[in-house]
Amino acid sequence: MNQPVKAVVIVGGGTAGWLTAGIIAARHQARMKAGGFSVTLVESPDIRIIGVGEGTWPTMRSSLEKMGVSETELFRQCDAAFKQGGRFAGWTTGEPDDAYYHPLMAPQGFSVLNLVPHWLKERGGRSFCDFVTPQGQLCDEGLAPKTIVNAEYRGLANYAYHLDAGKFAPFLARHCAARLGVRHVLADVIAVNQGENGDITSLRTAQAGELSGDLFIDCSGFSALLLGETLGVGFKDLSDILFCDTALATQVPYDTSDAPMASQTLSTAQEAGWIWDIALPSRRGIGYVYSSRHSSEEAARETLARYVGERHKELPVRKIPIRSGHRQTFWKGNCVAVGLAAGFLEPLESSAIVLVELSAKLLAEQMPACREVMDLIARRFNEVTHYRWGRIVDFLKLHYVLTRRTDTAFWRDNVDPATVPQRLQELLTLWQYQSPWFFDEFDRLEEVFPAASYQYVLYGMGFRTEVSLEDTAQSAPLASRLLREKDQVTQQMLARLPKNRELLQSIREHGLQPV
Amino acid sequence: MTQIVPLNKDIHRSLLVDGRASAAYGDSQRFVQVIVTEFPQLLVRYPILLSKDAATGRFYCGAMLGFDEGENLFLGEWTEREFYRPLALQRAPFYTHGSELAIDLDDPRVGAEGGKPLFNEAGQPTRYLQSIIWAFQDLKPGLETTRIFIERLLELDLIEPLDIEAEFDDGTMRNCSGLYTINQEVLSRLTDAVVVELFRRGYLRLIDLMIASLKQIPLMARMKNMRLLQATETLEAGARMPAA
Repeated sequence: MNQPVKAVVIVGGGTAGWLTAGIIAARHQARMKAGGFSVTLVESPDIRIIGVGEGTWPTMRSSLEKMGVSETELFRQCDAAFKQGGRFAGWTTGEPDDAYYHPLMAPQGFSVLNLVPHWLKERGGRSFCDFVTPQGQLCDEGLAPKTIVNAEYRGLANYAYHLDAGKFAPFLARHCAARLGVRHVLADVIAVNQGENGDITSLRTAQAGELSGDLFIDCSGFSALLLGETLGVGFKDLSDILFCDTALATQVPYDTSDAPMASQTLSTAQEAGWIWDIALPSRRGIGYVYSSRHSSEEAARETLARYVGERHKELPVRKIPIRSGHRQTFWKGNCVAVGLAAGFLEPLESSAIVLVELSAKLLAEQMPACREVMDLIARRFNEVTHYRWGRIVDFLKLHYVLTRRTDTAFWRDNVDPATVPQRLQELLTLWQYQSPWFFDEFDRLEEVFPAASYQYVLYGMGFRTEVSLEDTAQSAPLASRLLREKDQVTQQMLARLPKNRELLQSIREHGLQPV
Repeated sequence: MTQIVPLNKDIHRSLLVDGRASAAYGDSQRFVQVIVTEFPQLLVRYPILLSKDAATGRFYCGAMLGFDEGENLFLGEWTEREFYRPLALQRAPFYTHGSELAIDLDDPRVGAEGGKPLFNEAGQPTRYLQSIIWAFQDLKPGLETTRIFIERLLELDLIEPLDIEAEFDDGTMRNCSGLYTINQEVLSRLTDAVVVELFRRGYLRLIDLMIASLKQIPLMARMKNMRLLQATETLEAGARMPAA
């Protein structure tokens, strides 16, 4: 085995860089301690981190747990809060009562029975979400997903986090350096040295000399310093599918320090895009993501001001350009891009951070032993990552393509078949006759958005799938048992769970126990 | 309601307090907080486990007394045979207020029939009150010692959840959750240095007592089983009675 892979060098110290460093280092602790493997992260001393969305996916719990991070400290140091899903208002009809949940709990008994046909058959007043899971009600009641006696990372209801990305990256940095042996180099990369075969051999830095490595991970953000600038991998623009290209972001303080906090991300549809509203303990993060082809900046600022209310006058608004799309390939030679360097999509379903986790995990598990096998692994990595980006694009587009809004050009243009990916069009045809569940498309082991997510969006937005009455009759006894179970669980949770804000305060004061 | 006032030998000279165990006085608990110095006495009868405070989530040591909410299988033994009763229950209705003893005048034990005086004619504490004073002499530092002991257990990952599932002959089942015990797997892998440290601090003995006390759980289940069967027999006997 010549040219073993022993030194991993990560460029960029944002959320992507530190998560990748932590996930790889945690997986390879034994080799690192024995001195046969190293992880180095180099970041510029003065580049400001772009907070790419403050919502995570529940996978973050196991990622952090495996890294040995204390959840209590996450809450205390990152202004973190619980996230139990998303509530989408105004996406279907734009009427005042138009809203649905995409919760994080799968429908009751999801692995045993698909409850969609039973809900469709009933045609009752209950939303699909309320029919199959307690989580929408928990959100309506402002309840937390767990109690103070549940151990770190354990919950009664499934949950993810809302957090301050500006605090999260330094928090991970401290943990990675102190506990996982990641070498942290503060220096500007001024040149990238390549070998004859095009592989990156080392980085020349202004402050720390030369950094050589066997595998380089590009977490440098939009600039894609290694994969884009150095290796010349092109960018695949997706703005013909997802139109939003600008975000106006602000932070809104609470009126009182004990004001109730939502544990769902609020996504409210507007004339030319949508507004996110994320509750952290100290403030709400609010932003308007819109299509500059469908709205002027002035009109967008007015829309945001209207949502924020009177307070908007005192609050600074930051404008962030969004370029929807991703690199043509993600791993070339001995360089892999993760995070914004790999690509970006509007933060509608918090897909950015989860994709970082999945890529880092795949890298950690498939870490090439030597240069000889790297191209093989790279090919598989690229295939899986392409698939994932495609699925995310499909899933985000699904939110738009099911709209019945015709009030503005933005919504009308979104349902134009020319803007809908082929695979999504096929699935929409298929779903008229069968609902997404197991045994179909969703057989990949680590699907970014599971079939349950598609169910919540489809049936939250009023999609109809034909049901066979004979078929539902056959599984009716099982369905009613599951629904009774769900009702029981709902009652227990409503009775036991504390208010979201209350539990977060309690965690700050007393902490959560590790077991 | 509570009305806690400092104990005063002049004001409370003639006060009678019933210190005996009774369901009416709140002794019907299935889990009661204990301190490490009680472990040896507890071992012969009760499982010594850990649970979490509902308000803070913090661990505390406790003795398991029953399987159901509000069930104390030992209540009869406490009233009839004076088995060891954890200090946290013995001390009721007294509290400490700084360094002074205080009493909750609204506690049903105060002024109850069959109560004992707290002071003799000379204004000296009676034997009953003296036992309370001693209980607090143990309890106050004991709670702190126990907290430090638990902290060390946590640092060493020595605490693990214990799920008790019991099936009884009347066909019912009990599932007790929220209880924790020593993780023996982790214990067996401790380094020599840590084992010596635990031994020197007296923690190894406490850990052993906690592990040994697990054997009380099946015994308690048998007690519970007998009571359930007696209850069923009584019910059946009742059902066989001709209607009046």
